[in-house]
Amino acid sequence: MSYFLKRTIDAGRNIGQQFLNNAKTTALQRVATKTDQAAPQVETRPTVAKLDPLQKSQLIDFGKYVAECMPKYVQKVQLTAGNELEVLIPPDGVIPVLQFLKDHHSAQFASLIDIAGMDVPTRPNRFEIIYNLLSLRYNARIRVKTYTDELSPVDSACDVFKAANWYEREIWDMYGVFFANHPDLRRILTDYGFEGHPFRKDFPLSGYVEVRYDDEQKRVVVEPLELAQEFRRFELSAPWEQFPNFRTNPATEEVVNPAEGPAKK
Amino acid sequence: MSARQAIQVGTKTVKPVLSTTPGEAKRRVLNLYKAWYRQVPYLVKDFDIPKSEEQCRAKIKELFLKNKDVTDIRVIDLLVIKGQIELKESVNMWKQKGHIMSYFKPTEEPKPKDFLSKFFSSNE
Repeated sequence: MSYFLKRTIDAGRNIGQQFLNNAKTTALQRVATKTDQAAPQVETRPTVAKLDPLQKSQLIDFGKYVAECMPKYVQKVQLTAGNELEVLIPPDGVIPVLQFLKDHHSAQFASLIDIAGMDVPTRPNRFEIIYNLLSLRYNARIRVKTYTDELSPVDSACDVFKAANWYEREIWDMYGVFFANHPDLRRILTDYGFEGHPFRKDFPLSGYVEVRYDDEQKRVVVEPLELAQEFRRFELSAPWEQFPNFRTNPATEEVVNPAEGPAKK
Repeated sequence: MSARQAIQVGTKTVKPVLSTTPGEAKRRVLNLYKAWYRQVPYLVKDFDIPKSEEQCRAKIKELFLKNKDVTDIRVIDLLVIKGQIELKESVNMWKQKGHIMSYFKPTEEPKPKDFLSKFFSSNE
């Protein structure tokens, strides 16, 4: 971790100096001063993870470094829950950014922990694809987020990470996001003949069909399910609070937004 | 200004799934249809289903014609991809007899259309 620290801090310092020389009021500079001033809060609750200000500053520096290295693809870098670094990229940047994070000497995020999907129907690009990476070398994690809709294909990360194969099949099965150039894209969780994508928000909880054993046919038959009108209401927000322990957690803070940076000059 | 444009992140242009022209999409659909059509004798024999080849071909035609009004190329491409995946599942015998027979839906009662049949079928 100390190796990681030194390298990233050096890199971050260089970038910071460049920006100080170039422009007086960039987003970068403002955030940097804010994080310098941030007073360390002492966490006394035993069950809540303690925030490490040193680790946080390293993450911020690394986030800035990533944004500097890939200005074409990084839309935004943010820090959630105090110590989780997130890189937000457009769908064309999946392979370059993952390849960079995997192979860059001071990143080495060589293992893909998971690919997650998220569906927010109100957005123009309703699906979010989230890559969770782990760097065993530096004991660090990073999250890469991209977006897509029902019809836009996302480049498959299989060429970069072999582990992406099944995760992408899972996303295809559950959300119906098509991964271009995937070696073997087919269903993985649902039964053969299943129609629809169950993790979409507009998929009803009861499904569209019901399956039963038919005595006359001597086999399992699939029949359409009649939904009563009152169950057709898609209530998307849960009635209870999901994470009460995280009520006072630090909100998402933006580390750097390169798309806005040059515009302010 | 040009430097700013050079690092514009994210585009608004639509990315094609497979085909770029309607003709190409149509060719893909026809190829898929032919592939299904040619597999019919083998499917009937391998799965030992109580249907004739003619009935299976009619069913394939019906399932393809169900989507005849789709015009968006990308939607057509996705449907073709799903059809190809299903064909592969059937040909490799990953599916079972019940999965193939579920295309025919013998237990499903047709929905009442006219007033009297609606009246007879209603529970009230």
